[in-house]
Amino acid sequence: MTAHTITADPGPAVRRRPVPWPKLAWVTQRQRRGAIIGTSIFLGLFAVYLVIMAVIQNNAYAAVAACHPASAAKCQQLANSFYRTYWGGGAGSVLQSGGAQTVSSLLFAVPVILGAFAGAPSLARELENGTFRFAWTQGAGRTRWTISTLVVPALLLTAAAGAFTAIFYWYFRPFIEDQQVSVMLPLGFALLGVAFAAWTLLAYSVAAFLGALFRRTIPAMAVTLVVYIVLAMETAIAIRPHYATPATVQGWNNAGGAGWVISSWVKAPDGAVLSQSALNNLTNQVPASVQNSNSPDAFTNWLTQHGYTMWQSVQPDSRFWQFQLTEGAWLLGVSILLIAATVWLVRRRGA
Amino acid sequence: MNVIETSGLSKRYRRKWALRDCTLTIPGNHIVALVGPNGAGKTTLLTMAVGLTRPTAGTLTVLGGEPPGSPGALDHIGFVAQDAPLYRSLPVAAMLRVARNLNRRWDQRRATDRLAQLEIPLRQKVGELSGGQKAQLALTIALARRPALLVLDEPLAALDPVAREDFLTSVVAAAEDDGISVVLSSHVLAELERVATYLIVLARGQVRVSGTVRELIASHGAGLEEIALRHLRSGVPSSSRTEAGQ
Repeated sequence: MTAHTITADPGPAVRRRPVPWPKLAWVTQRQRRGAIIGTSIFLGLFAVYLVIMAVIQNNAYAAVAACHPASAAKCQQLANSFYRTYWGGGAGSVLQSGGAQTVSSLLFAVPVILGAFAGAPSLARELENGTFRFAWTQGAGRTRWTISTLVVPALLLTAAAGAFTAIFYWYFRPFIEDQQVSVMLPLGFALLGVAFAAWTLLAYSVAAFLGALFRRTIPAMAVTLVVYIVLAMETAIAIRPHYATPATVQGWNNAGGAGWVISSWVKAPDGAVLSQSALNNLTNQVPASVQNSNSPDAFTNWLTQHGYTMWQSVQPDSRFWQFQLTEGAWLLGVSILLIAATVWLVRRRGA
Repeated sequence: MNVIETSGLSKRYRRKWALRDCTLTIPGNHIVALVGPNGAGKTTLLTMAVGLTRPTAGTLTVLGGEPPGSPGALDHIGFVAQDAPLYRSLPVAAMLRVARNLNRRWDQRRATDRLAQLEIPLRQKVGELSGGQKAQLALTIALARRPALLVLDEPLAALDPVAREDFLTSVVAAAEDDGISVVLSSHVLAELERVATYLIVLARGQVRVSGTVRELIASHGAGLEEIALRHLRSGVPSSSRTEAGQ
């Protein structure tokens, strides 16, 4: 037995320098080339549509903005027609059918689609195909490989989503400038600023984590979808309004341009807040002439005349960036935690 | 130097013990045949040796004391898992580049020369290679890493007889040319009889026989196949472990 010796050289000690990150990043991008191309085409097609519509909309809006005085009937008509055509869809070419309202609602789903498709296979596919037995036994080691596998697509995807937001902003700008839509409303908020990229990153991180946990791509995608929808809705309804104490303003502004109305109430002449049932009673007491009026302001005018005051709690548009950064920060934090947890899962796997 | 050394090594998957109290020493500079019926714990032992799985109990070191999965161990062990998993959608050249970028030690010349010799086209997708070509590609990648130890888990299972012969010839040549220690597992001893210089028979998670082929044949006066069968049937762990034996 002892006659045999190992002849392979142990090599110099300098070799302990780990495999550099750029090499690992190259491996990741090469393995995910299909996903990178797929994502580019998916976002690219949306972007081309948005650019075409942005040019058309911005041109049409220039006429609205140039019309003076804005309160003139001619200008009002122009503005309404612009809004009807491009926001609501109305009658128009195939390109603009649906309008910005529908397009924005569709784009709502983009972060979770991108995130689930890019994130779920990251580790699940290696575990499904058994190629992890190759990847984790190379000289780079499984921790570095895993970090690269998770982080490189995360960076690419977040950057792509960020660039897409810039195009979307250009497309959406007329409605913001026109104060027709508050940028604080869930529809606009999630597609502007840093929110779109942050939600994409979150969906990716959830999917990658679940992929490593389940070891299967499709279940990870499915559960990501559910988790994302619940979290996105919960955030819009229950979490986002609390980033800052809402401002209380007197008067009802139904235009929606000034901010996001969280709640509204009516105070009686003696200053007491009316309950919902009291308000309902009041609605029934108003004269028929007011109830049957065509003017939307008839009821509120009647209330004002009788000493009632109207109040709203509002998140004003001026808080847009504060809210964006708050949401971006916690989404980034959760994403980093999920990616760290995924690395931990991989390190622990086989324990 | 012992390339693999275990003491009281045990591995349990949920309720089932895949390996139980396994103590063995695999010396270097051998072509070691790790033989045993399906479910004997061969793959479990090898995946623990390359750091893919961690033991439930006991200790395991590789290459003379390195912990499995450590940078030092990973650098010097070339592992080809069962069914030679590689990225099927990549062309051969890209697969090589992936392996090159995942390792500090890499001999590109050696890899391309070997593939040229085997007439495996670099542009072909890995998924389009034949079973034999795929196994040879996996072996090429493992060898290009210039390992001290080559671990092959059931490398012949999916190959036709001609490909088996070619594969084993490659392994023997690599072991002789570079002085690489090799550990191959198989559930068919006959396949490895021609090349093995050291035999370990594993059954139900325990070592039945362990020793150099020369010594085993001398002490038992029988062929390898018969020695293995005898010990598998008796179910009694053999005393002819390396230290104990002859």
